[in-house]
Amino acid sequence: MKMNKRDFIAIAVVLVLSAAGFLFLNTKHAQGSRVVITVGGSEYGTYPLASDKVIEIKSENGSNTVAIENGSVYMKDADCPDRYCVKQGRITDSGDSVICLPHKLVVEVCASDGENTIDAVAK
Amino acid sequence: MIRLCKIFSILIIVLCLFSGCVQVGSADDSPHIRNFFAMDTYMTVTAYGENGKAAVQAAEDRVYELDALLNAESRDSEIYSLNENGTATLSDDTASVLKSALYCCELTDGAFNPAMHPVMRLWGFTSGKYNVPSNESIKEALKLTKPSKISLKENKATINLKGTEIDLGGIAKGYTSSEIMQIFKYNKVKSGIVNLGGNVQTVGLKPDGSDWSVAIDNPDSDGSYLGVLKTHDKAVITSGGYERNFKKNGMTYHHIIDPTTGYPAENGLVSATVVAEDGALADALSTALFVMGEKKSENFWRNNKENFDFILYTEQRKIIASDGIKDSFKTELEMKVIS
Repeated sequence: MKMNKRDFIAIAVVLVLSAAGFLFLNTKHAQGSRVVITVGGSEYGTYPLASDKVIEIKSENGSNTVAIENGSVYMKDADCPDRYCVKQGRITDSGDSVICLPHKLVVEVCASDGENTIDAVAK
Repeated sequence: MIRLCKIFSILIIVLCLFSGCVQVGSADDSPHIRNFFAMDTYMTVTAYGENGKAAVQAAEDRVYELDALLNAESRDSEIYSLNENGTATLSDDTASVLKSALYCCELTDGAFNPAMHPVMRLWGFTSGKYNVPSNESIKEALKLTKPSKISLKENKATINLKGTEIDLGGIAKGYTSSEIMQIFKYNKVKSGIVNLGGNVQTVGLKPDGSDWSVAIDNPDSDGSYLGVLKTHDKAVITSGGYERNFKKNGMTYHHIIDPTTGYPAENGLVSATVVAEDGALADALSTALFVMGEKKSENFWRNNKENFDFILYTEQRKIIASDGIKDSFKTELEMKVIS
């Protein structure tokens, strides 16, 4: 196969474009993370981590207030007896979760598809 | 036209390279996940591949089965009845966990002690009704925490001092995660991970052939980690005073009681993580190392280094890790390696 100068330029352009595309895909992942809330094992709702929101959840077990703020999520308030969920603080990374045991409520950050991240948090 | 073809094929090759679509894998790599509440915590069980669905269902059933046997606070459990009657013929499971617990107790020279129930109750950690007991009551309760008063012959367990009570809470979840690994293997699951309330255990590699990434929680700062461990076929279990505690008169009292003093262990550590093949051992040793503190933990590891590795987080905010995992643990904090 004979290649001339224009072929090389074409290859270079394609390489640069795909590298740029690759970088773009990798950096925008964090923006794509979702907050998934489940109560008693069934899904209550899914929210983008990127947009601020306060979610009030009332179930037969009690009430919780989840806040999404600046790309992180935390339990703002809860009427459970131990309030460990409120003390757990903010989470940002996919695979991490805030759990309210008495109310069987789980707030989890989930990766957008294809994001390379942690699989579990030992604590 | 030829040039166009050339460019097009190069484009396709390059796109494939960057997007990772040239990937070798089995037909069904999809995860099967079960989430549920058991053993006073939240559990996530994940198995990949075509047998995953049956495996995670069997795992969940197994957890309920073990929970019912081992929970010292439940009136229907074997441990409750052993504590109540002073003697019991145990199921193979309960006998096996108790045997592991007594073994770990001996191995750690009592730093892990499965007979702390009377003291735990005094502090209210068994009921959630916390209070700070008097010195005298702690001294009295400590007399009832001697593991030597527990005997286990085959499946027959006997408590030889009235008032002594067994609590397998420090080892039950680790035993359970190891049991789930057995279920995964029996179901020919090549790739799986469980998270039992922060106790993590893995079987095989991830479906893409890479190691699992297990982050270690940083209790100082929300949503951040001490570091990330790349691992496979191992349990990763962390113990720390930050997990469960209460405040009274400006003091914080946590739930890992030092068996020698009867008070929350204060030996210079914020958390202790153990990495081992055996989940029960990892669970018990993470508690034991937290109680031992830095120096004793290092010496203990030197005598048992074939069985486990560790990551300690000290009150000086330093990481101390054992030689076996120094290359697979990535941290931005200052880390000292013990060999």
